[in-house]
Amino acid sequence: MRATLDRMQSRLNASSYLLRLGRLFSETVLLEVDGAEYYLTFRDGRLEQIAEGPSRKTPWRFALRTDGEALAQFWQPLPKPGFHDIFGLVKIGRGRIDGDILCLVKNLRFFKDFMALARPELKTEKLA
Amino acid sequence: MSFEPITGRYLTVTVQGRRQRIFVEMAGEGTPVLCLHTAGADTRQWRHILNDAGLTKDHRFYAFDMPWHGKSLPPEGFQTEEYLLTTEAYIETVLAVSRALGLDRPILAGCSMGGRIALQLAALHGEAFSGFIAIEASDFQPAWYDIDWFHRPDAHGGEMGAALVSANISTHAPEAERWNTLWMFMQSGPGVFRGDLSFYTRDDSLIGRLARIETARTPVHILVGAYDLTCTPEDARRTAAAIPGATCTVMEELGHFPMSEHPAAFRPFFADALARMKVPADV
Repeated sequence: MRATLDRMQSRLNASSYLLRLGRLFSETVLLEVDGAEYYLTFRDGRLEQIAEGPSRKTPWRFALRTDGEALAQFWQPLPKPGFHDIFGLVKIGRGRIDGDILCLVKNLRFFKDFMALARPELKTEKLA
Repeated sequence: MSFEPITGRYLTVTVQGRRQRIFVEMAGEGTPVLCLHTAGADTRQWRHILNDAGLTKDHRFYAFDMPWHGKSLPPEGFQTEEYLLTTEAYIETVLAVSRALGLDRPILAGCSMGGRIALQLAALHGEAFSGFIAIEASDFQPAWYDIDWFHRPDAHGGEMGAALVSANISTHAPEAERWNTLWMFMQSGPGVFRGDLSFYTRDDSLIGRLARIETARTPVHILVGAYDLTCTPEDARRTAAAIPGATCTVMEELGHFPMSEHPAAFRPFFADALARMKVPADV
């Protein structure tokens, strides 16, 4: 998982399209996969730091909690229904979103596109 | 230069005592089909159907922008109003436009909230139509989101709405049409998507009316995309099961905006639905 997140970080920070989309996004997001915590700290759209938990001291704005198998399906080029979107994971009971949901919704396109960066056929790359 | 076959005109109808200037797009010759767009969008969702020579050779399609949507202006005085679509106003609008167009029992094809109101019209005004194609349509779902997210002074409701509804678009949709579909939501006027969702997520009056629908006279066919998180195949099947004689088809590679997000994949399902609208003359 860490290697995948590192790859997503590189792709994000090299994408002028995503950096423009996320230019006002400076928050820490908790991604929890199979109970393992990853604190993703974004600044002006760049992913500056990936800190591995567990941590009870790291404040975060919103959290996406899921399991590794669901994420693997989410990262397929053509995910099956339900696995195709972070809200789909929630809908099929394979994900949970906590915290400041409004903050997520205000930055939803950016965060969804960031989460999709591990898909092999990256659609946003064409626009970068 | 080569124009598309679609033509657009304006007409004015009176709905609940208020004048509404309505934009209508038309194409084709033959059996009239009145098409309704989804919440937060407009008639452009139907552009591929209206440009489909194979369908327009024996159908005349009419698609109109609801008041506040697309090229239909809001009514006079809108600036101090909270836009909240109601079942009653929606029904009256569809009937008024159909009358103003001089349509004789058209087929009614609606998607999402348009599918919901198509089923309401099937239950309450079935005699005014010859059949109903209810796309991504179901009896009722409460919102899992807060509809107030989409109208606030500190964020762009259209961009947030588009990002949210992108969850309902199939991964099989061509990239260009996915973004054309989302663009309409991005362009939606302030508070319009919210006001549509008020109707869609708060009015459950259809549930008790489904059994009244007489499908022997006016067939009902429900189409639902497997990637639709808002109206899931389960929601559509439950709804079809509550309407005696209704049929339902699940479209495996489509989502909540099938005619717009993936027109090539939608076409055979829609052509099949149109064929199902023919009723024997003695019924």
